[in-house]
Amino acid sequence: MENTDKINKKRFSRRNFLAISGSGLAGALALLYFGRVPIRRKISDFTSEMEIAADVSNLDPKLWFELNADNTITLKSPKVEMGQGIFTGFAMLAAEELDFQLDKIKVVHANSKNGVLSNTGVSNSTSSFYVIIREVAATLRETLKLQASKIWNVPITNISTKDGMLIAGDKKISYADLAKQITKWEIAEKPALRPTSTFKYVGKEQKRIDLPDKILGKPIYGIDTTLPDMVYGVALYSPYFNGKLKSVDTNNAKNTEGVLKVLEEKEWIGVVAKTRYAAESAIEKITADWDYDPNINTKSIEKLMTVGNGNEVNIQNDGDTDKVSSEAITGEYRTPIGFHACLEPSLVVADFKDNKLTLYTSFQNPDYIKTAVSEALDIDKKNIEIMPAYLGGGFGRKAFKSNVVEAVKLSKAVGKPVHLLYTRQQEFQNGYVRPNTHHVLKGKLGNDGKILAFEHDIATGPMGFKALPSIAETILGADFVVAGHGSRCAYRIPNIKTTVWHNNLPFETSMWRGVGMFANTFAIESFIDELAHKAGVNPLKFRIDHCDDTPQLARRKKLLEILSEKSGWNLSKPTDIGRGLAVCDDRKTISAAVVEMKIIDGAIKILRVIHAIDPGKIINPDGIRQQVEGATMMAISASLYERGTIENGQFEQTNFHNYKVVRLSDTPEIEVILHEGSEIPTGVGEPPISPIAPAIANAVFNLTGKRLRALPLQEAFQKS
Amino acid sequence: MNIYMKLTLTINNKHTNLEVEPNMPLLWLIRDEVNLKGTKFGCGKAQCGACSLYVDGDLIRSCSYPSQMANNKKITTIEGLSEDEKHLHPIQQAWLDIQVPQCGYCQSGFMMAAAKLLEENPNPTVDDIKNGISNICRCGTHPRIIKAILLAAKLKNDGKH
Repeated sequence: MENTDKINKKRFSRRNFLAISGSGLAGALALLYFGRVPIRRKISDFTSEMEIAADVSNLDPKLWFELNADNTITLKSPKVEMGQGIFTGFAMLAAEELDFQLDKIKVVHANSKNGVLSNTGVSNSTSSFYVIIREVAATLRETLKLQASKIWNVPITNISTKDGMLIAGDKKISYADLAKQITKWEIAEKPALRPTSTFKYVGKEQKRIDLPDKILGKPIYGIDTTLPDMVYGVALYSPYFNGKLKSVDTNNAKNTEGVLKVLEEKEWIGVVAKTRYAAESAIEKITADWDYDPNINTKSIEKLMTVGNGNEVNIQNDGDTDKVSSEAITGEYRTPIGFHACLEPSLVVADFKDNKLTLYTSFQNPDYIKTAVSEALDIDKKNIEIMPAYLGGGFGRKAFKSNVVEAVKLSKAVGKPVHLLYTRQQEFQNGYVRPNTHHVLKGKLGNDGKILAFEHDIATGPMGFKALPSIAETILGADFVVAGHGSRCAYRIPNIKTTVWHNNLPFETSMWRGVGMFANTFAIESFIDELAHKAGVNPLKFRIDHCDDTPQLARRKKLLEILSEKSGWNLSKPTDIGRGLAVCDDRKTISAAVVEMKIIDGAIKILRVIHAIDPGKIINPDGIRQQVEGATMMAISASLYERGTIENGQFEQTNFHNYKVVRLSDTPEIEVILHEGSEIPTGVGEPPISPIAPAIANAVFNLTGKRLRALPLQEAFQKS
Repeated sequence: MNIYMKLTLTINNKHTNLEVEPNMPLLWLIRDEVNLKGTKFGCGKAQCGACSLYVDGDLIRSCSYPSQMANNKKITTIEGLSEDEKHLHPIQQAWLDIQVPQCGYCQSGFMMAAAKLLEENPNPTVDDIKNGISNICRCGTHPRIIKAILLAAKLKNDGKH
């Protein structure tokens, strides 16, 4: 008993609290469930500052590395490669500590049989594993030295390493040759990490190690999985929100040549056939009637998602915004529903045999599917194996809902492995989306032309609750951690208030690249621009004027200064060009962009984007450039064109003909500026997506004097 | 009733005899019957271009192309774009040099479309490229795709590939 206090204290240590893998946070929150308002504010303070820790604890190098006979090393990555370049980054970090040639390190996905699995997302693949990968690699290096010291009978301190060789005086052996002689491994104590000043690869351009396979069309993605005796499944789901199956006729499907099984479940119907075409043909022959609510449409959802509706949670109240007199300036902003539209739809290959289940899939969150299947079908988690593969896009879509339960039921029903793939229409109508948002902003300028008070009310839906036990929703009251991410105005303002209005929607909503930061940065950075113009101050200078010397704001200020110079912000420009900027601070990475645009044939055309990023420690500079360019293009797409709409109780979007995304013709000149503003890497997948929408809107204002307060901007501009 | 049809195809210079549903999209034939997985499914409605390949030299979107239409024809997929894995097509070489792919899923389709564009227009301008390819990439590799096609044109014209 006497140790209980100690243990509890330990559990509440910063590091442990940060590991919000689910039950940890909920447990902590349950204990904090008193005095809700101040506690919620504290949680908000805390989570907006937090670093997300790694969700792995097993650091046994055998689970991470394999020494191969040809003196190469295979690293089994706990994170999935979804385009972010993590395999290359991990190989670089491992090479430094292993003292091994980078081109002799291969990286594969770990699976549940041979390695350690982690969730991939929230831009933390590098930041949360920066130390861990090095620790495990260093442990392996020291373990090899320990073994060599025993075989050679020399003190370990006399043994050094160089490029995959162990050396002691005139004795020399490769890691692989030494490994062949070892029958019983004794793992070394965790050693000290090498100083970053000794790094050979980190910080220098490295070619991505996954690209040779990708340009040759190798079968590396989840969708490419082929197993002996595998058959193909297609499922039929309600195209309506929460549609309930009223009646169904599957006779024609059953009689289709090649069909092995038609499975009628409560909410879906599955067909398994020898070929995918046979399964698709059979599905088309099914007639199904659904009970649904036809009154749900875009208007009703926007009306619901309005500040003043839902559960109100004040997450920040610094100074006193109520007591500030003088006229307030207000701005009202909206962002629409957004789809991920990964080119590879969600899929799983389920192989259920002898009460054991193996799942082959491209998914961001292995723990989620394991739990989903285990709970839905009462299969012991110990009997479920996960075999991750490359993802054809993720962007948050492959973190939660999947068709895994359906695939397992179908595999059970036919006694064979089943390859079950969402159709493109299902990817739009049966996945989950970025919730639409509504923002009301109020600002008051002081006599010095600086912001005296700032208030932000945001109405949004849940994004992060799928990652937490249901009690979290009750305790938090609103999803201010994920959907509210970025809702707090980061600038130094004496009186500042942020309130989240939480609304559950009649369809599933969750993570989308950047989570809440995307919508919140659009609203806040557009409104800051409004205030700058009201104050009559250059918008870039206005932003710098609201940065003080606290670490994050000092970094923001520095990056804005760099951006100003590199973009020629203060230089004159042709009269038919609009120039705007915006900045965000996302998981301690700062991202700031200047956009230049024109109006051509009545439409916004982006000509040039200068995007500066401070991602902390830079591992692979070109990898970061790729992420910034990619996020910029995806953001142009989401800002100019993308909008999910609803009619008759269903999403109207069914394929790319009615969900416009950017094409090559939308590509502007993009220049990426890297600035290493701290000693630790802080993530690059999401941060650069958020400044683009407000930078475009601010540029449109700069050119036309029209303030666009709703995404997508092309539509808003045409209506203006 | 036999609903299947005998087809003779030459896929990446290899003669192949198959018996499939005649209207099976060529994409599924290539991926599942012939087991060449480089050609990808993206939308199923010829909207995104992930499934692009050549039939008798014409660039087509195989998700919406009935297999029977390819009977007695020559098909080239990403796996057959280069002579072999050591001698890359200039497009593939440029894709590596410029480090184009991120997730890489749409890139087979883009490379097939880009190689065809260069065949028809050996010296494309940036606008020719922007207007000549309508495939979809979700990772946002567009700026590098354009740069890589310009580089590939140079590699091809210099006779290095």
